[in-house]
Amino acid sequence: MEPDVAKAEMILPNVLPFKRVQRTSEKHIKGQPKTKHWKHLKQIIQAENFQDYPSDQSNYVNIETPPSMYPPKKYCDITGFQTTYIDPKTNLRFANTDVFKQSRHLPEEMVQKYLSLRNAAVVLR
Amino acid sequence: MVWGPAAIRPQRQTDYRFFPSTTPIVIDNGSSHFRIGWAGESDPRITFRNIVQRPRHRSTGETVTMVGDQDPALMKYFDCTRSSCRSPFDSNVVYQFDTMEYILDYGFERLGVDGSEVDHPILMTECVYNPVSSRCRMSELLFETYGVPSIAFGVDSAFSYKYNQHHGFCNEDGFTICTGLSASHVIPFVSGEPVFGACCRTNVGGYNITEYLRQLLSLKYPYHMSNITFEKSEDLKTEHCYVALNYAEELQLFQDGTRKAEEKYRYWQLPWIPPPQEEMPSEEEIARKAALREKQGQRLREMAAAKKISKIAELEKELNGLDFLLRQLENVEEGDIPSFLSDTKYHSKQEVASAVGKVSQILRKAKGEPAEVEDSYEPSLEEKYPLINIPDNMLTPDQLKEKKKQIFMKTTTEGRLRAKQRHIDEKLQRDRENEQEEEKRIENPELYLEKLHAKYKEISEKLGQRKRMKLNGNGGNGNNNTPGSVGRGERLNAAQKERMRLLTTAAYDRGKGEDTFGAKDEDWQLYKLMSKDNDDDERDLDEAELSRITLRLQTIDPNFAAISDALSTDPPRFQPHTADDFKIVLGVERFRCPEILFQPCMVGFSQAGLDEMIGVSLRRLDTKNTDLKDRICNSILVTGGGCLFPGICPRLEVGIRPQLRFLSPLKVTLASNPTLDAWRGAALCAASSQFHIQTFTKHDYYEKGEDWVRQYQFKYDLATSEPV
Repeated sequence: MEPDVAKAEMILPNVLPFKRVQRTSEKHIKGQPKTKHWKHLKQIIQAENFQDYPSDQSNYVNIETPPSMYPPKKYCDITGFQTTYIDPKTNLRFANTDVFKQSRHLPEEMVQKYLSLRNAAVVLR
Repeated sequence: MVWGPAAIRPQRQTDYRFFPSTTPIVIDNGSSHFRIGWAGESDPRITFRNIVQRPRHRSTGETVTMVGDQDPALMKYFDCTRSSCRSPFDSNVVYQFDTMEYILDYGFERLGVDGSEVDHPILMTECVYNPVSSRCRMSELLFETYGVPSIAFGVDSAFSYKYNQHHGFCNEDGFTICTGLSASHVIPFVSGEPVFGACCRTNVGGYNITEYLRQLLSLKYPYHMSNITFEKSEDLKTEHCYVALNYAEELQLFQDGTRKAEEKYRYWQLPWIPPPQEEMPSEEEIARKAALREKQGQRLREMAAAKKISKIAELEKELNGLDFLLRQLENVEEGDIPSFLSDTKYHSKQEVASAVGKVSQILRKAKGEPAEVEDSYEPSLEEKYPLINIPDNMLTPDQLKEKKKQIFMKTTTEGRLRAKQRHIDEKLQRDRENEQEEEKRIENPELYLEKLHAKYKEISEKLGQRKRMKLNGNGGNGNNNTPGSVGRGERLNAAQKERMRLLTTAAYDRGKGEDTFGAKDEDWQLYKLMSKDNDDDERDLDEAELSRITLRLQTIDPNFAAISDALSTDPPRFQPHTADDFKIVLGVERFRCPEILFQPCMVGFSQAGLDEMIGVSLRRLDTKNTDLKDRICNSILVTGGGCLFPGICPRLEVGIRPQLRFLSPLKVTLASNPTLDAWRGAALCAASSQFHIQTFTKHDYYEKGEDWVRQYQFKYDLATSEPV
């Protein structure tokens, strides 16, 4: 180990005296599928079975804010200015003719990236 | 909140053994930062970013574990290609407990824990309504692995509110608006206790803002994408972003491009090395080069002169020889000439004479004398072509042949003459036109210029239109770089398509029914369309006209710039990069990114924004007591690392006001330290004498079961009500 790395104490030791259960060396054996011992938040929520509890009891899911009462404002995807125009070919919103021209010259990949910013991209499954 | 090198490598604390085992350890386990310290102290001992990376050590090849931010200078010893930064959080819930274990390891190790277990009670923060499985696994981890005697869990934003309440920044009844890394919460407080049943959460936080900024910038500057990292965007966000008081007005300001907006632009200059400048040669250098060129020219001229002289000498010699031959021939008798000339290449006296003429002419030319006017008079047509006007029947076959030749010669010469005449006429016409134009210009220069500009524009637009038509048959200029979607039909222009259509219909119509083709004269016009694209002639004419006007404009209008290529779809021509190409401009982005807190729909979330959440929360509070509502709204505390934007409090006031009763009080205050207050509040609670009754032990945990853990609720008021 390089001296300056050791001096910076940047590496966490594998064995710590204050732990009751030390971390076992987790060598992954080739060929065997990796065991995933954690769940994503979605799976955690599903396992919580919130639907079995009375609906007036708050939980992680139902404290979420409901959708906004105001109609969503439309903004140009490229400049951010307020607009009402939509390019039917790319589905991008644009503020003026200059932006329109620019949007027409964008490669498809960039168009999709712009759309995915507001979760409007085409998702292929 | 510094994520740079300043925050890295906290020192291992040395005073662990001076704390009695009853002193709680306080952990603010935020999704962006992990803070650990002792109850009752004013600041956390250790703060680091809540991330783990497990790169491979280059020299030994083993996988090592690193927690928090690292010194980038030391990262060269590690291979990070196969591992990225991992966070134990999914949204604001801990889900990867092996990663969490690394972080706790590091936190306790830095705090200086040196016994065989961590024998202090622990107060740890968690999110609102943390799913019970996450809470259970965290408890198990702390009990089993670290041997912690007892644990308490509390909500970070509630601690922050309590801390600020303790210091008099907010009241017993109030709201806290907390914007974290991945979510924002609004929690109402009634008589000093949070009412979690009425709280609400929107899944937009500081991370979304930074990511939005990063993506906007990397889409705006695709060439600099590698420079726009998440960390850099984070820095730009903390340094330059602000919340607009009125978003629409602020946008309008930028859209109009006013001076006020110009002042709000911020620039980030990327490192850029100017290309080596070509030095202008000094005057001496120029003179030296000119002299060198002159010398070379002189030498060439001398060589040419020498060559000329030698050629003249040669020609003179030949002429003399021929003269001599001619003189000798005069003395020779007529019959002997062929035998006399047999040594030479000539056969008759005439030949020799003509050779003399030729050589002398070449000689004169070489010497630079004017050539002797040979045909001083133009022979009349009769003389030149004597056979033309004689009838055929009076001629021999040879003469007939000759006559044909002469006729041909005559027509070609005449044609040439006619073309010459036409050329001269055209030139005259052009000159006349130019003169007229010049007159017009002198008469009224401005009007003339205007007209010329108009014409220029018209033609260039026409050409641009045609170009677009050619690119895309159906009129509009489409996004035709979609790979794979360009079929045969799309590659043809409109005229070509029409032609193809005609050809195919013609092919199919053959032999079908009665053929009436040709009955009308117009039918034959079809072939014109079929034969070839006749679009090009017109375009050539237009192009010639355009170039003429461009030239004219360039001569008379100094500030005229041709825009002809602006319309075309050609890629921009190569230009050397300037510093401006490496400049990242932050304009609208400065307030567009934080705006997603107020309008989550901008990033595709349908949930309500921060200001509307207050209204939602008030409704969820389900109380008819307007006095209470007024009291609550009079003490709104803004906290959390995601709200550190200038102008956020006035904006919130503007947003919340319309949802309240007319003339009801409203006060929005920023927490004394939005990032640290949660830990401080927790430390305050943990230091109270009532803290120990709020904790649960390992025994409690296994005795009471999961349902009890679900019901477990920290009592904030209990802990902070007594004076510390």
